Amino acid sequence: MSDAPSKQDPSKESTHGVTYDARLVRRLWQYIRPHRKWLGLALVLMLVTSACGLAKPLLLRLAIDEYIAPGEMVGFGWVVLGIAGAALGELIARALQIYTLELAGQNALIDLRRAVMRHLLRLSASFYDKTPLGRLIGRVTTDIESLQELFASGVVTVIGDLVSLVGILAILFYMSWPLTLATLLVVPVLVGFTLWVRKGVRDAYVRMISRRSAMNAFLHEQVAGMPLIQAFRRERRTAKNFEKINGDLCDAQLSTVNWESVLSASTDMLSSITMALILWFGGGLALDQLGLKPEPGSPLEQGVTIGTLVAFLQLMDYFFGPLNELSLKYTVMQNAMTASDRIFNLLDKEEWIPESENPQRPETTQGVIRFENVTFSYGKAPVLRNVSFEVAAGERVAFVGATGAGKTTVLKLLTRLYDVTDGRITLDGIDLREYGLKDLRNRVGIVPQDVYLFAGNILENIRLGHPEISEEDAVAAAKAMHLDRVLKRLPGGYHEPVRERGSNLSSGERQLIAFARVLAVAPRVLALDEATSNVDSEMEQLLHEAVERVMENRTSIIIAHRLSTIRDVDRILVLHKGQLVEVGSHTELLAKGGYYWRLHQLQYGQSDDGDEAEE
Amino acid sequence: MRSTFPSLWTLVRPYRWRYLVGLSCIVISLWLKLQIPQYFWGTLSELLELDRGTGDLDTTQAASLITQAALLIFGASLLIAPIRTASRLLILGTSRKISRDLLAKIFARLLELAPSFYSRNPTGQLMSRAINDREYVRSLAGAVLMYIVETITLYAIAIPLMIDIDAELALLALAPYPLFLIFARYIAVRIQTTARAAQNALAAITEKTDESLSGQLVIKTLTLEDADFEKFTVRCEEFRQLNLHVAKLRALMISSMMGLAGISTMLVLYQGGAQVARGEMEFKDFGVLLTYLAWLAVPTRTLGFVISSLKRGTAAHERVLEVLDSAVELRQEMHTARTPEVSHAALRVQNLSVVYPPFSEQPHLEGSLPPEHIGSHADVERTVLDNIELEVPPGTTLGIVGHTGSGKTTLARVLARQLEVPTGTVFVDGQDITSFPLENLREQVGYVPQDAFLFSESLRANVSLSQPDASEEAVLAALAGAQLSKDLDQLPEGLDTIIGERGVNLSGGQRQRTALARVLLFAPKLLILDDTLSAVDTNTAESILEYLRPFAAGRTTILIAHRLSSLSHAEQIIVLENGKIVERGTHAQLLALGGHYSSTWELQQESEDNAVRASQLEQELEQGFEDGAEQ
Repeated sequence: MSDAPSKQDPSKESTHGVTYDARLVRRLWQYIRPHRKWLGLALVLMLVTSACGLAKPLLLRLAIDEYIAPGEMVGFGWVVLGIAGAALGELIARALQIYTLELAGQNALIDLRRAVMRHLLRLSASFYDKTPLGRLIGRVTTDIESLQELFASGVVTVIGDLVSLVGILAILFYMSWPLTLATLLVVPVLVGFTLWVRKGVRDAYVRMISRRSAMNAFLHEQVAGMPLIQAFRRERRTAKNFEKINGDLCDAQLSTVNWESVLSASTDMLSSITMALILWFGGGLALDQLGLKPEPGSPLEQGVTIGTLVAFLQLMDYFFGPLNELSLKYTVMQNAMTASDRIFNLLDKEEWIPESENPQRPETTQGVIRFENVTFSYGKAPVLRNVSFEVAAGERVAFVGATGAGKTTVLKLLTRLYDVTDGRITLDGIDLREYGLKDLRNRVGIVPQDVYLFAGNILENIRLGHPEISEEDAVAAAKAMHLDRVLKRLPGGYHEPVRERGSNLSSGERQLIAFARVLAVAPRVLALDEATSNVDSEMEQLLHEAVERVMENRTSIIIAHRLSTIRDVDRILVLHKGQLVEVGSHTELLAKGGYYWRLHQLQYGQSDDGDEAEE
Repeated sequence: MRSTFPSLWTLVRPYRWRYLVGLSCIVISLWLKLQIPQYFWGTLSELLELDRGTGDLDTTQAASLITQAALLIFGASLLIAPIRTASRLLILGTSRKISRDLLAKIFARLLELAPSFYSRNPTGQLMSRAINDREYVRSLAGAVLMYIVETITLYAIAIPLMIDIDAELALLALAPYPLFLIFARYIAVRIQTTARAAQNALAAITEKTDESLSGQLVIKTLTLEDADFEKFTVRCEEFRQLNLHVAKLRALMISSMMGLAGISTMLVLYQGGAQVARGEMEFKDFGVLLTYLAWLAVPTRTLGFVISSLKRGTAAHERVLEVLDSAVELRQEMHTARTPEVSHAALRVQNLSVVYPPFSEQPHLEGSLPPEHIGSHADVERTVLDNIELEVPPGTTLGIVGHTGSGKTTLARVLARQLEVPTGTVFVDGQDITSFPLENLREQVGYVPQDAFLFSESLRANVSLSQPDASEEAVLAALAGAQLSKDLDQLPEGLDTIIGERGVNLSGGQRQRTALARVLLFAPKLLILDDTLSAVDTNTAESILEYLRPFAAGRTTILIAHRLSSLSHAEQIIVLENGKIVERGTHAQLLALGGHYSSTWELQQESEDNAVRASQLEQELEQGFEDGAEQ
């Protein structure tokens, strides 16, 4: 039923005009190939269905001409049994075919879906920097769902339909070629007319779908901002806009209804007209044959019998069915091709961090980090320029600098979320690029500023599916981070579910969970981006202790926002506009009287610049 | 809850004549259509008689009979086509109009519903009612109705005709139908529930994908790829299984339908065929029976669709009614004498308590409340505001301080009349707040909530929400007050840059400042800022407060803040804890009190100074390098 509410909105970023493309089909075939047995079986079953279906009119013709018309009852039962057998065969083959086709489709699609997700997980951070998430999610869901249609009513069905069309034509010609030719007169009319109407239907649909998305977008925003609309007394204006959009949508929908109504009625009309044609032309032919019983063994096609007319009537129904659907399926195929084009475009993106061919795997990690003339840019302007420094095993360093100075980039390079543009970074003397990517990331633990929590409970968020972290380890890590004290307020404690990415936890609590995560994995090197958000004083104290605790016995590189943290580290590196401008311990830098000194002076309001700091 | 059909009727009523004509067209076209086989088989019957030599026509008469019948069929099909088109146009077209009307009703109601309704019911829920559920209702008033009438008419005309031909044979052939209907209903319901489960499984895949891609940096740095992929696969597999299950049920449905049609055809073929052979039945009747039986089987194909649409449509309609019937919540008393207006915005609160009933007892739309919330530890009555007494003289500033969850936002929302309060608790200019028409109140109350919402419109339109025809100077002045002038230069099209979800993405601080600019332009008598500067950096926040001081001078201002320093100029500050006012006074008085306020102040002084100074240092450094001050 075309009028049923549609589940998907194909208007989104549809690229109309992607034609059936052999290249796309070949690529899709890769995913279908492993399941081709099921597909083949479905095709065979489909042919069996068609064969059984076509046998029925032929047997009916036999029953009428040989038994019913002459009143011959001997053996009539067998013919009826034959028809029953064909019907049963058709039924069973059809049921099996529906299932096998779905099986082949679902199996291929789950493979494709997993391949897309694998690919997405592998794509580098830089790819995500420039691609909207919504679009990527669409690839995994909506687009693959449109391929589902391809299986349900696509290739195999089309092949099956074509084969049965050819079969029907053969039988029709075999029975009576003049009648066939006469009946088929109506086909070009039908095809021409439906093509014309379908174009109208399609255009109306495209317009309707775009207006529907406009309506959805409008509604979504107005509903989300409703309190604001009320507070600013915008109701009347909003209602007016709504009325216009709603009216436009309704108009577009009415025009699709117009076209569809014409299409459905005319399809119906053409099949009745065919009936008239069969009767008029075939009846005339049959009239000429009356009384001329064909000799036994003489070819039956010589004569148009009453049975032939009945068989013709039935076969023409079979003929129009798939012919009508073929043009409908064209749209489905078109959608599927557009979708697969988008999916393969994504799979062709090869933006990932290259893996070393023979990765180095030193037994232990000392934790010596060296940046050697590192230059890096996300796009055009370099974010880091010629930065060199070394961090000894177990040393703690802090980065200080203005927003955009390149502090966060240092951490991202350290875990190879990005590769250096120039120069190199080593861990224990080995270039980061020579480590296995996962191995490296197990050695270097990172605590980002924005803590990302997954669906699941708090404990699961600490373990995060690492099989080697036992529940005890996770709890121990959480305790070390004072999480047991904090989580007391939650009824479920460690098993409290995390709601919507952690909206039921404060920013301080989230940061503690991130610390516990790292502590549970126990990497030798820690890269920490302190959160800047306001926390209350008690949490401030907890976070301070937690930072102390995670830095213990590991090489730590910290982007510090708290002066208490800065004072705890061994050395401070001052970044400015991508360049390292000052390095030294707290005391050394103070003695140097440079920027860090000024920072310290500002902090305590004792310098000459002090009066610039108001309050 | 209103029941479905009467309220559905109110939607249909304006179009009842269209429906009546449309439905009559269905009846007429079906009646005509059922005549066609009569001509066809009637002619064949004559031919058969002629063949057997029992007929009373000669060849010439037969030939003209054939032509006549063919012309009749041709004529009937030409007649049916426009009637059929009309029936579809009238019914399906009208259902679209009904859908439009229903959406208009929903939207009108949404415009009236109180803010508290929106905080209880997520946007997604409301969207799905206004869009998906409405579509199901539309299908009920269109395709489903048409199908049902078509089927009933077909059966009502064809069955008597069949019985007239041969009662015994017709009843025998139709005997399996009732049994099939029961079976088909059962399968259809199972298909529906499984398909819905499959839809949910797909939603779970979407959710998981969203989570994985949003968290890709964490996944990478903590090497969670495999574990995460495993979770994804589990969801995909579940979806696959459910789809296969649906396919199985569908195969069962289709094959049982084919079996049904097969059995009745066989019966007629065998019995009727034998009777024709014996000369006990006319060939015409035999053929008509066969054709009608084939036609009667066609609607069974879509039976599943109709059964599930009926169920879904009525359920959907109930869900739409839930929205339409939601209480508006904010009382608006009808005034005959005079409508009070806000003149000075003097506020008085006496004996105000706000108690939220447990989640499960609040009027949620079905599905808005996650099931795990019901009966959870949090599902208890909560006292959010407890016996609040307040007096804010006109033109003064009230500062509100307190921990998260102490009731600050609730108090702000009460004063902004976003939440309903009992009469006799909140007074504006000495009048009970509930006695003001909302319109009058909203003219003078500017409330800026913590999370700033932007419409996908131009910056200008977003700022001039209250006065769409505000002059460019006024808009620019408001932007300057909110310290947005600098940011304006970075927007590609300045004031006309589209912002919001479908436009340029502004930072949290920029969003908050845009929301602030809105009220600055609005210039209401009562200004309520709920931690409006939380995402704005310290320096900018300072400048904004600087600007706000003169702006707030003539206005009653309610200022909620975490940074106590931004409240120091307030005439009155209250400290909330668990919904109670625990301390009150001026900044100096509260410091002298040595309570919660003063200890927080001391703690904040250090860290806040650090923050302020750190950001000043950043500027210092910046300046230093620019000047080449380094020797």
